[in-house]
Parts: sequence; structure tokens; C-alpha cells
Amino acid sequence: MAKESFDKEIQFLRLLALTGGGYDRQQFAGRLGISVHTFDKTVRKLREISGDADFADLFRYGYADSAEPVLLFLYRAKSMKESESRRLPLILTALKGTPQTAAELLDACCERLPLDAAMPDEKTIRSDLRYLEEIGVVRREPGGRPYRYVLNNDLTDCLSQKELIDLYEFVDIMANTQIPSVQGYLLRDNLKKALKSAVPEEEWDDGLLEPFSYKYHYDARILDEAHLYTLLRTIHLRKRISFQYFSPKNRKSYSAKETNPLFGRETEVRRESTLPLKVVYDHQYGRWYLIGAAAKGRFVKFRMEGMIDIAEEQEAPDEYFALKKQQLDEQMRHSWLIDTGETVTVRAKFYRPRGQADFIAERVRLQGQWGQIVEENEDFFIYEIQVNGVTEIRPWLRGFGSSCEVLAPADLRQSFIDEWKEIGDYYE
Amino acid sequence: MNNPFEKIFNYQLSSRLEETGVYTLTSQERSWLKSMLEHPAAHEALEPRTIAKLQECVLDDEISNLLDGLEQKAGSLETQIVHPLLSPIRRILRNRQGMTIQCRTKKGKLNEPQPGIPYKLEYSMVKREWYLHWYNSSTRSILHTRLCHIVSVEQSRVSRTSYEEQTVRAQKLFEAPRHEAVVEVIRTFNAELTRILHAFSCFDKKVEFDEEERTYRIHLTFTDSEGQFVLTKLRFLGKRVRVVEGNYLKYRMRETARKALALYGVEGANAVETSDSDQSKAAEGSADAQKAEQSSNSKNAADIIARTKIPG
Repeated sequence: MAKESFDKEIQFLRLLALTGGGYDRQQFAGRLGISVHTFDKTVRKLREISGDADFADLFRYGYADSAEPVLLFLYRAKSMKESESRRLPLILTALKGTPQTAAELLDACCERLPLDAAMPDEKTIRSDLRYLEEIGVVRREPGGRPYRYVLNNDLTDCLSQKELIDLYEFVDIMANTQIPSVQGYLLRDNLKKALKSAVPEEEWDDGLLEPFSYKYHYDARILDEAHLYTLLRTIHLRKRISFQYFSPKNRKSYSAKETNPLFGRETEVRRESTLPLKVVYDHQYGRWYLIGAAAKGRFVKFRMEGMIDIAEEQEAPDEYFALKKQQLDEQMRHSWLIDTGETVTVRAKFYRPRGQADFIAERVRLQGQWGQIVEENEDFFIYEIQVNGVTEIRPWLRGFGSSCEVLAPADLRQSFIDEWKEIGDYYE
Repeated sequence: MNNPFEKIFNYQLSSRLEETGVYTLTSQERSWLKSMLEHPAAHEALEPRTIAKLQECVLDDEISNLLDGLEQKAGSLETQIVHPLLSPIRRILRNRQGMTIQCRTKKGKLNEPQPGIPYKLEYSMVKREWYLHWYNSSTRSILHTRLCHIVSVEQSRVSRTSYEEQTVRAQKLFEAPRHEAVVEVIRTFNAELTRILHAFSCFDKKVEFDEEERTYRIHLTFTDSEGQFVLTKLRFLGKRVRVVEGNYLKYRMRETARKALALYGVEGANAVETSDSDQSKAAEGSADAQKAEQSSNSKNAADIIARTKIPG
């Protein structure tokens, strides 16, 4: 059976998160490169997983007030046989606290499964245990055959109630403020359950579950973590990859496989191939990039959201990988984001606000990366940075509006003048 | 193997497990936690004893190894992830009690201690900083104070009734009025749509696409305090977008362009009086007056050259 892929779902959720659900079905389907029928099926499936009645509301109003990651449910989409989803809870419940053998677990299952359910055999139980052990959920107890297994919840079992609350709050903060976060959010969900069983009912307070809120989050950022580990692993193993790439400039972000020749598409999506060297997360937009070396050694950059159907290819020689990695690190030393072009010196004059705290200087210090303040007085300061090209730093400088005057390079200065004129004309 | 699409995370399974109170912890979650325990913030959030206990349980280290291949760019300096006041304020919040709080102003002046009720702790992903939203019991107003400006917080007893009354009052005040604005993507930049939408993705919004005109319009909803950040994003995107509805934003953008051009000595506007990011809000009505002033003050070419000269 083909590996279950969630590319279609990811692309749909990204569109949804970015547009706030403003498109109609036809528009969504068109942009995803699928039929309206397939689109409806996708939505039905996601709705079932999320338990949420209305997707359009998912991204409205709640965004500032909740630490709940609205898109996490995507990671609960892996399908499972009905019989398995009934059997595994019985096994896991039996393994809580008391070590059990496969035979004992079989008895427990047979006892508790409804009479009309298909009864598992010992082989099925063994394969369940193998799976649970592999993902670290259960642990085999020391000792010979027959092996005994127990639920591995040491992480929470070893903590006092206060420590558990501290851990929950720490995980909440780190999952929300650090990258990557999917595993942190999943752990957070499990710690919620741990809290519920550790705190006596009369002391329970729902406020325990949402200790903090986080403002100005990029919801869609966690969607790209779907491919993150695949890519990080190929970097680790120095493996080349091939994949289908939809450039963000392309209106379509997915396209159905040609299973039916009648519906063969006119434009063929090219398969790209590269040796992955580095994954970059851009905080400015909340987007992910993969940077790799192309066949002739040139550096190539891909937006991770456009990459689907990733396949591992052969390994690259050690020295070659190390050389490319070193060259890339060197070239990216002055990248505001990922530009590996020529380094230029940008100088800008920032005007301090009058009669109030200097939030301009504070923002420059906070966001100005490795740039330096080279001259200052009580009215203004001059910031200088060596950066690869001006394209990536430009929006940041422009964000300061009339508190920032670009001094050099001259062409950047001129382009600011031209652009402010143009913007001014929009509002005449 | 770190596969975030693991069968064990399946929604049917997790809802069935929910009823039993049993939960499962996978290696990848422990591995993630291990990499987070290496972060300096761990030592501020957790007791050394707790960290030691947790480290015993998180021996898997695949994620930490893999994370070498990940680099973050254009982020703010992480000056503060865990603040020492989080824990005492959380305790007051959990106990549903009042507090006596003493703060400094933005300019550093020390205020008298005030009685109040903590309402919520919020982290700004932009400023990378914690804020306390609280209700001031003596002035009956709400405040947003950066934790770094709080000098001291002590729990103070209030009766359950008084606590609830004040919380209801605070809640009403915190339900800030919301503004609406419509931002249009200039059609020649349609190809950059995803970039533009990403920039707005942290706001409450709805995108509409006009098939006939091939034009995207972003309907934004935001509070007063978010307005400043909306403006920053609009300037950030520059000529790619135009505010088509929302007088205040239009006015501010017009002013930004005018004052920015004045910096470069273009169109002869007066020297900068107030900076753009000035948080004081000028009245809508004054826009026209300022525009008139702008056109009457043309500077000569020599002046422009003088201003264009790069100092030092």
C-alpha cells in the first residue's frame, strides 16, 4: 500500500489559514488543483478529525486569545482500522501500572471487547506491542520470556503535582515560542490528561490548561513541520532527494495524481532534485525554506510549502557534503534571510520619537540582527549592517515608516524615495 | 523515527483513550522535551530537581541531533522567554486573589503601589516579551504592563464576591472595540499573494477574490492596540498593498509617505515633527490641513542635495 500522504490536506489548511476561509468551494478546489468533489471529501474528512463544525470560524476571533494550536488536528489524521482503535485503548489501559504479557493482554482484550467484535489473536497483540515499544509508549520489563510490558509514563509519574504544573507551563511556553513545535503541542495535550488525573477534582480549575496567551502567532507554521523531519533526516544522512515542486508564484499548490488518463493535465509539474543542506525558518513571514546544492553544485532554494511527494535518493560523498555545507554557511553569514548574493553595506538613520520612551531604538536592537549602531545622539542614531543584497532587509526598514531614512547604498535610498511617492499617490 | 503523523496520535484512538484517563508519551515527545531542556529558559522555569528527574526520562536524542540542520533567520533577539514574575503571578491567578503591584513607567519613573486583579499573562511574538493585563481596583481601569516594568507583586486578599465583580468589570473593559479595514493587493503583485497573506496571517482576516477584476481584498478586523502592528505590516509590504477602506489607516499611510518623503527632502514637506511610529493619535480631521501645509512648502533643489548627502 502506498504511504499515506497528507499533502492535499496540508495545502488546503494552509490556504484556509492564510485566507481565513474567504474562498468558495470552486475557488479552493481550483487553487488546489483538485475537483470540487475531491475537495468536499477532503473537507468532510478534516471536519471529522477536528470535531469542529465550521472551518471558516476556526481562524476568526479566537486567534489572539487561545494558546490552542488550531491546526494541530492535522497530525491526528493518520488513519487506523476501527478494530485497532478499539483494541489499543484496552491494551494501553491494561498496561497502566501493571506489567503484562501478550497472553494476559489477549485475555484482557477478549474479556472487554464487545461480543460481536472480531477477536484478536496473540500474534496481533504481539505486533501491537512491537509497535508501541518502537514508538516508546511501552517498555519491556527486564527478565526473560514471556516478556512483560508496561506503559512508559515515567516522565509524568516521577513528578509531584506542583512539578507537573510547572512542566505543563514550561511545555506550553516552549511549544508556543520555539521551533519546532508539533511534538511540543502533542506533549502538551498529553500533559493535560496527566494534570487532570493528578489534580483532585475539588481543586480542579480549567485555568490550569490555558495558563498563558500568545499574540501575533503564525498559525500555518506548524503545517510545514509535516516534512521537517524527513528533510532534517536527509541532511543528517547526506541523502539527495527528489520531489514535486509548486513554486509559490504558481496559482496551484497541489495537483491530483493522474490516475485517470482522461483527466491528464496539460501542464506537467517538474520533479526537482537536490542535495539538502539546510532548513531555514524565516520569522519575518513565518515561512520555511530548504536550501540545497543542485547537480552542478549551485545553491538552490525552495519554499518548503511548495514541496510535495519527497523521495530519498542516493547518498552524497562525505567530503562533497561537508564542502558544500561549509560554502553555504560562509555565503549565508550575511543573509538577512536566505540571500546568498553579493554583500553590501546598508546604512540607515533612525529618528528617535520625541517626548516618549525610545521604542525605535528598542525595536532596532531587537530585530536588527547583527547590524550595529555606529553613531548616535539624542535625536537619531545611525545603523549599519553588512548584508547580502538589499531585497530581504528592505521590508524591515520600510516597516519603520518615516522613522527611518536610508542613507546608503544610493540606489536603495532612491528606491525608497520612489516607493514612498508611489504609496503617497495611493492615498491622494 | 520522528514521524509527526504517528498512528498513536490518531483522533479516534485519542478520543477513546480520553474516557479512560490513560495517556501515552512517545519517544519523539520526550526527544523534543530533551532539546527544550537544553534551552537556558528551562532553568528559569523549572526547579533543578525537576530538571534532573526529567533528564532521567528523556534519553532519546534524535531530535536534538537533527536540529543541527535547522537555522532560524530574521527573528527578534530572544531577550525573555520565561520571566521570574510569571510563576508568582500565575499563583495569584490560580488562587483567584487580588494583588498589590508596583510598576515603573516606560520612561523609568517609579509609581506608587496599586491594588488590582491580575487578568491574563500574554506573550507577544513580535516584541518577544511578556505582558500582564490587569484591572486597577482604585482607578477602575485596565492596564497592559510589561513584566520587565513591574517592580513587585504581592498577593492581597479579596473576597470571592469582590473578586468576581471586578473580574466581570475587567472582562467588559478588555472586550475592546474592533475596527475593520479592507486592504487590496495591487494586481501587478498578485504573484506575491502568499507572501502578502503570510504577513497578515497573525491577524483576524478574511480574503475575498474578485474573479472579474482578478483582485484580492483582505478584510482585517483588529483592536486599537493591534492597529499599530497592522500599520507596521502595511509599511512593511509597501507598494504591494493599498488600504481601500478604513479612514484612520489611510490617513496614517498618507502621513507616513509624506513624512518619509520629507526625510529625503522630496516634495518640500517640513522637517519631521513627529515620527511615524508616534503612538499619539492625531485627529482624522487634521489630515487635510496638513496636506495644505505640505504643498505650500516647496524646497529648492540645493536643499534636496544637502539633505541627500550622506553624513560621516
